Amino acid sequence: MIDDEYSRVPSALAPRVALRHDPVVAMLGAALANPFVLGLVIALLAVLMIVFGPSTDSRFIYTDF
Amino acid sequence: MQFLVFVGKVAIAMVLALGLVDFGLRVFWPSDLRLDENFSAPLLTRIIARDDLQKRIVFLGDSALWGYGLDAQDAVPSLLAAQGFPVENLSYEGGSIANTYAMLRILLAHGVRPRMVVFNVNIKEFSPGDSAYRTLYPAVEQLAWPLLAPAERQRLDHKAKTTLDARLDRRIGGIWMLYGMRSDIRERIFGAADAATAVDDRIHVLSGEAQRAARAHIPTGDRFLGTYDLTPLDGENVEVFFLRRLCELVKTAHLHAVAILTPTNHVLLHEYIDTPDYDAQLAYVTKMMDAAGLTVLDDDRRFGTEDFLDNDHLTARGNALWAAQLARALTQ
Repeated sequence: MIDDEYSRVPSALAPRVALRHDPVVAMLGAALANPFVLGLVIALLAVLMIVFGPSTDSRFIYTDF
Repeated sequence: MQFLVFVGKVAIAMVLALGLVDFGLRVFWPSDLRLDENFSAPLLTRIIARDDLQKRIVFLGDSALWGYGLDAQDAVPSLLAAQGFPVENLSYEGGSIANTYAMLRILLAHGVRPRMVVFNVNIKEFSPGDSAYRTLYPAVEQLAWPLLAPAERQRLDHKAKTTLDARLDRRIGGIWMLYGMRSDIRERIFGAADAATAVDDRIHVLSGEAQRAARAHIPTGDRFLGTYDLTPLDGENVEVFFLRRLCELVKTAHLHAVAILTPTNHVLLHEYIDTPDYDAQLAYVTKMMDAAGLTVLDDDRRFGTEDFLDNDHLTARGNALWAAQLARALTQ
C-alpha cells in the first residue's frame, strides 16, 4: 500500500485534497488573496451581471398593429 | 483590523475598476442616428448635454419620425442628415404631443435652444384610447416630471413607482452610468431588451416562426377600429391641452418650430377617417398652430397607400419621398 496523503484520507475527501494540490487552483487562490485582484474580479462580476442580467425595466407598451 | 484593511483595499480596487468602465462609457459611447427602443434617462441626459445640439434641427416626434419598422438610416431625420442637414432625432416609439412638450421642456431646462424644432401631429394620439394619450415615456417622465406645472401633471398618468427600491434604483442610476444605461447597453450589444430575449428572437428566426408571424402581420382596416376618436376636439382633450402648452412654449422661447400633420393611410382607413369629423380635427389643430406662428406642413394625404407599412408608418421608399419633401420645406 502506498503511504501518501491520498491513502490516509477517507475517499469522500480525496477530491478536495487533490484540488488543494492543483497548481491552477493554488495560483487562483494566491491571486484572490491579493485585495486589488479580488476587487477587480468583483467589479468584473458586477459588469457581467448588469450586461447579461434580465431586463426588469418598466417598458413602454407600444401599440403595434 | 487587518481584515478591515483588506476589505478597504478590495473596495478601492472595485470602485476604481467600475469608475474606469463609467469613464469608458462617457468617452466611447457612440452617437446614434436615433434613440434606442428602450432608452434610459441617463442616456437622454447625456445627449442633451452635447454642445452641438444648439445648432441642430431637433426632431421631437413619434414612431412615424423615429422610423418604425425600418433601419435607423432609413428614417426621415437620418435621410436628411445624409443630405447635410444638421439633424438630431429625439423622436421615439410611443410619442405624442404631451411627450413632445415634455421633451422640449427638458431641452429648455438644460439650456438647449435648438436651431429648429420639428414634430409631427398624429390625430390618432388625440384619442383617449391611444397608449400615449396621457402617458409619458418612462425616461422622459423621469426628467420632465419635476419641471411640469401641477395642472399639467394632473392630466397625465404618473407611471414612475415611488417605492423605496424604485427611488434608490433611480438614484443609483443617476450616479453610476453603467447601471443607469443598462437598457441602452443591452440593446446595443444584443439588439434586444436583454440577452435572453435576443436568444429567443434568434430561435424564432431559425425556426421560421418570425417569418410566419411577419407574413401574418397584414394591417387590414378592421385592426384600426376604434383607433381614431373623431369626437370634436376641445380643451378637455389631453393632447389639445398639451398642444396649446406646446404652442405657448414655442412662442415664449422664440423657437422656430415646424409641425407636420402625420402622413396617414387614407385608403386603409377610409371607412373610419374619410369623414368631415376627421377634417374638422385636422382644421382645429392646424388653426391652433397657425395662430401660434408655427409652420404647419400638411402631409396627411400626401402619400399613396403603397408607401405605407400600416396606418401611419411609411415604408423606406415612403420615408425617402417624405425626406425629399421635408428637405425642400426646411430649405425654404
